[in-house]
Amino acid sequence: MMARISRWLDVEVGTSEIHMNTLPCNIALVDVINDNEFKLLVGDMGIGNESPKLKIFRGTMQISDIVLPDIPLGVVSFYASETMPRPPPLVAVAFSSCIYIYRNLKLFYKYHLPSSKIEESETEIWEKLKDSANEETVIKLSKDLQSLPHNLCCQSKYFLQMSTDQKLEYLDSVEVPQKELTEIACLTTMKMRSTEKMAVSCLIVGTEEGEIVVLDPHTFTEITKAKLNTVKSEPHQIVATGLFNIDYRLTVATRNKCVCILKRDWKEGRQLFRTEDHIIAIEVMEFDKSIMVICCDKTFSCYSKKGNKQWWLQLDCHPVAITQVPVTHLGVTLVAVSLVSGHLNLYDGKAKRDSMFIRDIASVIKFGQLGQEEHVFTIITSTGNLMLKILRRTANFTAHAAGIETSCPTIGKPWLIPKKSKLFLEQSMRERENAKAMHVTFRHELNRLRLVAGKTLLEAYTKSDNALGLGALEPVRLAAEVQGLGPIFRMTLSIENTSKDRAVIGLSILFHTYATSYKVTNPYIKIPLLSPGSKLKFPTKVEEIFTNVNPDIFFRTVTGQTEGAMIKVLLLKEGKPNPVLSAVVQMPPTDPMMVPYDKIQATGFVE
Amino acid sequence: MGLMEKLSSWLGGPAAGREITILVLGLDHSGKTSLLNALRPPDRRVTSEPTLAPRQDNFTFGGLSVVAVEAGGARRVRALWERQYAAASGVLWVVDAADALRLAVARDEMQLMLEHPAMRARRLPLLVCANKADLPHALPPTQVAAALGLERVTDKPWHVCATSAVSGAGLTDGLAWLTRQLRDLHTDH
Repeated sequence: MMARISRWLDVEVGTSEIHMNTLPCNIALVDVINDNEFKLLVGDMGIGNESPKLKIFRGTMQISDIVLPDIPLGVVSFYASETMPRPPPLVAVAFSSCIYIYRNLKLFYKYHLPSSKIEESETEIWEKLKDSANEETVIKLSKDLQSLPHNLCCQSKYFLQMSTDQKLEYLDSVEVPQKELTEIACLTTMKMRSTEKMAVSCLIVGTEEGEIVVLDPHTFTEITKAKLNTVKSEPHQIVATGLFNIDYRLTVATRNKCVCILKRDWKEGRQLFRTEDHIIAIEVMEFDKSIMVICCDKTFSCYSKKGNKQWWLQLDCHPVAITQVPVTHLGVTLVAVSLVSGHLNLYDGKAKRDSMFIRDIASVIKFGQLGQEEHVFTIITSTGNLMLKILRRTANFTAHAAGIETSCPTIGKPWLIPKKSKLFLEQSMRERENAKAMHVTFRHELNRLRLVAGKTLLEAYTKSDNALGLGALEPVRLAAEVQGLGPIFRMTLSIENTSKDRAVIGLSILFHTYATSYKVTNPYIKIPLLSPGSKLKFPTKVEEIFTNVNPDIFFRTVTGQTEGAMIKVLLLKEGKPNPVLSAVVQMPPTDPMMVPYDKIQATGFVE
Repeated sequence: MGLMEKLSSWLGGPAAGREITILVLGLDHSGKTSLLNALRPPDRRVTSEPTLAPRQDNFTFGGLSVVAVEAGGARRVRALWERQYAAASGVLWVVDAADALRLAVARDEMQLMLEHPAMRARRLPLLVCANKADLPHALPPTQVAAALGLERVTDKPWHVCATSAVSGAGLTDGLAWLTRQLRDLHTDH
């Protein structure tokens, strides 16, 4: 591979004072005060005596921190209200069995997961245990406890793994357990009604009990709750796609080598596929919902949304983290995988497009807007440093730019030609022997087909005479499609005759536009006979005219345009004074990059 | 030469000669519009919405008539800057000194501009305004110069000044340098 300029700009970060110990789930990019300047929020687990903290970074600089009561299990941000102007997003941090909600970085609500009652048989044994200080009874009761059929509570599990001496000591200090707290395993969010940037989202919690709980963002009450799988599986990472009120998929990586899926209105999730080794992390691609998985057996694989393995790559060393890298202006979504070797690779499908060597292990990676820059790679290394890389404006990720030889994969492989079967050999033999007779039969059949087609057409033609004159024009359908970035668009009109036995004649199309806004190359199109069930397409060029441009054209959006952007398409019938059908086409705005340069210049003067 | 420029040269501008075009460039939200607003009389100020289409305005700096062409700084319109390069006699580069994160982006964009065929090997004065100097975390001009890699620019005269578009502080010094450079260049011809 030839030496080339990096696609990434390094941001200098004063590394000496930053030491963070965190996990991929504990990092979020949040527009904390709704000023379109995204801050980096890191749930730091703390090292040694240092207590866990929520650290807030503005660019490369830490601006504040909040002491957390316990080790954070997940940091997410979401909008809870639809009022205008939009209040800043809430930040949720999950701890063992509760979620703290911060508003404006101030603690505002604590949500505790409902606790479950402990089985009576278990409490009975505990009561006996408390009463007896005898070694023998403790051993006997421990065995009873172990043989209980149901899932034991945390205290019982903890107790059972101790030695007898420890147990005796432990019994003096504990109470009989009454209720079992539900421990949180992972946390994520999902938009509820719309995919907009600031749309309201609900919280999704995965518990150690193998349940998925959806919480309402206003009231923090359970909206739905479902078991993850038929057999108990602990969730480890949840990726939500879709909208809660419309349709959604929760793709969940579990700790027992399988990925489960839970859809809207399902009472219980189901296993989608199993992996050979433990799953490190998953990522669900936005466009086709395929699932990328990195595993402990050094593989990076892709599964379809149905759970079929599509491809896999053997990596050089252990993968650490995975994240999606959507580069919208280039129209690609890459997947970044960080490795123990200190490399950070970017893949487009299974093709490697870029590789960065960052000397240290990137344990947490995230791509998204930070500050005012949209394409920032945020990396936290295993030694606790923060690294920021910005995608250059001129970077591209095509195969050519990546310096990869675009060897066609089919060259090496032989063509897939099926073996010559007995049937095939016999047929070819017959063809050689009776070539003349076969050709005559073929010609005969072809002529017969032509005759039938001609007859049908004639019949349709005779019937068509007054089909439209009667007023009903249901059988004809008109549809328009606009393509292009402008100023020249291609409008394709398709006219379909849905009738089964009637043809249509004498039709024509007329375009009706504002002469100041658009110019149609072919404003009047005569349509030939439309046979029954057929469809004809008429492509036409439509050019947007820039005569009196003002800078407003740059601020136009697709919706809410002026009337000038409407083009009327009229379908006329010979001999009828009124158009038989009409359609209104809303033209999209011309991309500002495509506006002719001399027209931009015309706007340059400030009066 | 455009019609407007011809007209103004016939009518005899303050310099009684040709007008000089300078480009005002920089990333979005660096304060290009605000900085030029500080130079305008209050009744000619424009709104500070993000600029997209290039905007021209005439100024008089130290007896020199200057056309300032301000281009939008948003990522997707930066590709349009190069259309203005050929006409430029000087560059006023505005950088947000309080946004340490995007200094790397500003450096990259400046390098792209300096290496463009229409700019390379031309002795254009380059004035860098370390804007928003009034903000608490703003970097001093020396650090901005280092972060932008200005010490490696050897083929063009350059100068860094700390400015504040809100108060207009620092702007006169920088423009005095720029006009001196422009005058020197244009009296040579």
